[in-house]
Amino acid sequence: MLDKFFNPRSVAIIGATPKEGKVGRVLVENFIRRFKGKIYPVNPGYDEILGLKCYRSVKEIPDEVDLAVIAIPAPKVPQVMHEIGEKGIKAVIIISGGFRETGTEEGARLEDEVKKISKEYGIRVIGPNCIGIYDNWSGVDTYFLPDNKMMRPPRGYISFISQSGAFASALLDWMAYHKIGVSRAISYGNKIDVDDIDLLEFLGEDDKTKVIFMYLEGLKKGRGRLFIKKAREIARKKPIVIYKAGKTERGGLAAASHTAALAGNYQLYVAAIRQAGLIEAKSFDEIMDLSKVLLTQPLMKGRKVYVVTDAGGVGVMLTDALASEGFILPRTPPDLKEELRKHLPPHCIVENPIDLTGDTDDERYILVLEKLLPREDVDATVVVALPQVPGIKGKVAEYLIEAKEKYKKPLISVLIGSVEAEKFKNVLENNGIPVFESPERAAKALAALYRYSKFRGVAKD
Amino acid sequence: MEPREIIRRALEEGRSKLLEHEAYELVGSYNIPVPKAYLAKTPEEAGKLAEKIGYPIVLKIVSPDISHKSDVGGVILDLNSKEEVVEAAKKIFDNVSKKAPNARIAGVLVQEMVPYGLEVIVGGLRDGIFGSVVMFGIGGIFVELLRDVSFRIAPISEEEALEMINEIKASKLLEGYRGQPPIDKKALAKIIVNVGELLEENPEIQSIDLNPIMAYSSGAKVADARIIIKTK
Repeated sequence: MLDKFFNPRSVAIIGATPKEGKVGRVLVENFIRRFKGKIYPVNPGYDEILGLKCYRSVKEIPDEVDLAVIAIPAPKVPQVMHEIGEKGIKAVIIISGGFRETGTEEGARLEDEVKKISKEYGIRVIGPNCIGIYDNWSGVDTYFLPDNKMMRPPRGYISFISQSGAFASALLDWMAYHKIGVSRAISYGNKIDVDDIDLLEFLGEDDKTKVIFMYLEGLKKGRGRLFIKKAREIARKKPIVIYKAGKTERGGLAAASHTAALAGNYQLYVAAIRQAGLIEAKSFDEIMDLSKVLLTQPLMKGRKVYVVTDAGGVGVMLTDALASEGFILPRTPPDLKEELRKHLPPHCIVENPIDLTGDTDDERYILVLEKLLPREDVDATVVVALPQVPGIKGKVAEYLIEAKEKYKKPLISVLIGSVEAEKFKNVLENNGIPVFESPERAAKALAALYRYSKFRGVAKD
Repeated sequence: MEPREIIRRALEEGRSKLLEHEAYELVGSYNIPVPKAYLAKTPEEAGKLAEKIGYPIVLKIVSPDISHKSDVGGVILDLNSKEEVVEAAKKIFDNVSKKAPNARIAGVLVQEMVPYGLEVIVGGLRDGIFGSVVMFGIGGIFVELLRDVSFRIAPISEEEALEMINEIKASKLLEGYRGQPPIDKKALAKIIVNVGELLEENPEIQSIDLNPIMAYSSGAKVADARIIIKTK
């Protein structure tokens, strides 16, 4: 239903302009740079913009138009919406601000009028007062921030829906810088029509989206129950990570009952998040930590985690962090212990965490992991390979990448250090093994994978 | 009386809060265990009703204008004979006429005294975004201090209700603390599910506090109920 927003064959840009620094100019540049379909700039003041023929009105465009993007002052939007309706365009992104968000009567009136017109013609609307869509596959890009200010991320399979446009663009820029792939990123502003639920449904069906992230401040009135229902359906197919902003209590309400006094806005969202099977990211760090683990790792069957390390201290830190997230670090079973004892030098510790110590080399890791990973009683493994150790030359990274494919079990890594650690990290992350500097963050991300595995019925206990 | 009828009458009388016996009746009609309780207009009537219920008895003042009953001397516990009940009812009417002279008095509630158990709260609320919401937590007078509660959006399955119970920080208290037998979580889960249903079927209800509910190793019983409805 929302396909015309994401995969249009043609787009009209209303408010297109050649003037440097204007939103209408950036929009045209974006589409020229990335969009493969036809582009029709619309502005009565120009015959041509950046080499494209410019039209006085959408009605003058000779072909069919799938999507219209509006970036003109709010008072002029209703008139243009009528023209869009008459032209038969069914999808509109209204970038322009100046509506209900201004808190003025005039703004609210304009918004209601636009809503009414859109219903009249059956036009679906994203916005107004929004940054719209960044689609890495079709090249639809209404983020009106020029490339030199906001980097565009590589293609990937994380999509996100953000109630804040500024956060959406900052996140996109950040993901680009960290080379994290993005599929589609949407911010819907005042959401007079298309809202979180519609977008979730679209991304739920989208085979280019494997993990959905949502930044949510609040749902529309009366939409809570449908949100839970739809989100739960989608969460059974793919993970949805959610960050709920506005966690502090709604103050000043004289509550008539204990229940009313305790039912803060955030508490109700927490309940809804649980019931819908969503995964809550509680901090900015968690947003990407959780997303990258959920994107790259298979589901977990249980909570038994093994740690293989060359640094005793980091092994202990991880043990604490994993245990406080509810994981079990079993004692190494006798048969495995005996096997490891046979092959490892006597100063290595074969108890979980298995400590290969500072004189380890790549081969020692490979030997241990090759015995550990195939075992039924191992649900996930965290590998700590601090690269300051001279014996580590890189073969263990190659092995981990192969082992991930071969054994199809969660496998993540903790690396702490400088340039060498960074190199090592890039190799692993480019091949679907998430790397963390912080043992605590690694444990939290793995815990999210476990919770989701439980929701999906893969983890039983 | 039918649940709808109770709410309708309160609305007609412009009351936003159900009287306690009305609240019991409404809650009881959703298979939630409530104490036997009847409204008496006079001390003598209270004595007769007490005989019918059995002892021990609790008396509570019933007034649409009084929300903190103990503050006005409107609650007397643990009465064990007809004479005691009559005397206590007189005392309550007397206390209230001194401490809250302008309050309208519906009578005195003669209620079976609910045996002590672990005090929990099940609450309900109507929210603009999510609709019917149910809360569970450790009850009693420290509810708002401890804030150890969990929520779900109705309709709630029994499984989800059990999750709510296990989710609070003090859930270990329910497992049988210091040699106590474990609490009947299933009985509590049923109350949670039914409060969800009660909210769903009666949109006039704005909030419910069943606090405390006495929870036992087998079963549970509401010991106090407060229901707020929407007056137009």
